[in-house]
Amino acid sequence: MTLVKDRLVLPEPGYGMQPESRQLTVDLATMSTTEPAAAAMYQTAGADDDATAVNDVDPASETPEQRRARFERDAMQYVDQLYSAAMRMARNPSDAEDLVQEAYTKAFSAFHQYKPGTNLKAWLYRILTNTYINLYRKRQREPLQSNSDTIEDWQLAKAESHTSAGLRSAETEALDHLPDSDVKNALQSIPEEFRLAVYFADVEGYAYKQISEIMNTPIGTVMSRLHRGRKMLRDMLADYAAERGFRAQTEDQAAAGSNNQEKEK
Amino acid sequence: MSDCQGLGDCDDTRMQRIYEYLDGALTREDLTEIKQHLDTCGECAEQYDLECLIRTMVKRSCTESAPENLKNSILDRIHAIKPVDA
Repeated sequence: MTLVKDRLVLPEPGYGMQPESRQLTVDLATMSTTEPAAAAMYQTAGADDDATAVNDVDPASETPEQRRARFERDAMQYVDQLYSAAMRMARNPSDAEDLVQEAYTKAFSAFHQYKPGTNLKAWLYRILTNTYINLYRKRQREPLQSNSDTIEDWQLAKAESHTSAGLRSAETEALDHLPDSDVKNALQSIPEEFRLAVYFADVEGYAYKQISEIMNTPIGTVMSRLHRGRKMLRDMLADYAAERGFRAQTEDQAAAGSNNQEKEK
Repeated sequence: MSDCQGLGDCDDTRMQRIYEYLDGALTREDLTEIKQHLDTCGECAEQYDLECLIRTMVKRSCTESAPENLKNSILDRIHAIKPVDA
């Protein structure tokens, strides 16, 4: 796959974690044609709503009590978000809770290293991701994750066949009826590095650069994971929709002789 | 494969462009170009709409509330830790 890194809008070097850009997430309810993506781009430049509360702090002159109070005030508000992310990492709520607790404990111990004014939530996500990789993944013996390089190919091929069959607006209609549990299951079934990239992009609306910092991977890798992960997810969701009897138009359209050339073989 | 080549000559390229558009990862020029294309090409616009929907579904499904006791458990733990001086 050819990546188009040169088209990225990258922040200045040395900028640290980028400001958050949750406007980037597209909400269909408020969406008019294609405006949100355009709007998001212009809004990523300077706004940092996470940083406003901590800009005036000098960690060097802070007492331990003040630091603890600052941590509780600024970091504890993200427990829900970290828990949601941890649920994509761990396999059950209990492990997710442990993971979040562990990550918060580490974050508190390292809070003097956090640079006020940078994105605190992204910093916490990075610690969470590291905690997961170092602690929990080692415990999981399932070969599923490490095999991702080999299973991608057939999953991708399958995704391609769906695409070539033409996912039209009726398909969109069908997917729209899927319950949240199907979406979670579909996400859970794609390789974790793809899953987390999709999570950070779609749920948090993070830019590629931020995701690369959180996951400690090059931007090109993030883009590749997103691309593949989204294809797999879409394929999986289409399968769920079909299983649930939300028929998309594919058969009917094929029968009607529209532009479907070939479907599954 | 798709008939439209407005965003690239293969589906992979087209989807990559749509993802970058969705992710706000394009230059202004490219952004304008793709927006204009999506406004006029139904085929690509449908792909874009579907990706928008999936994104919305993922966001909705993955926005969870932590269990009631989690926050207190964390506070208990960090109160048991002696803070490190910078």
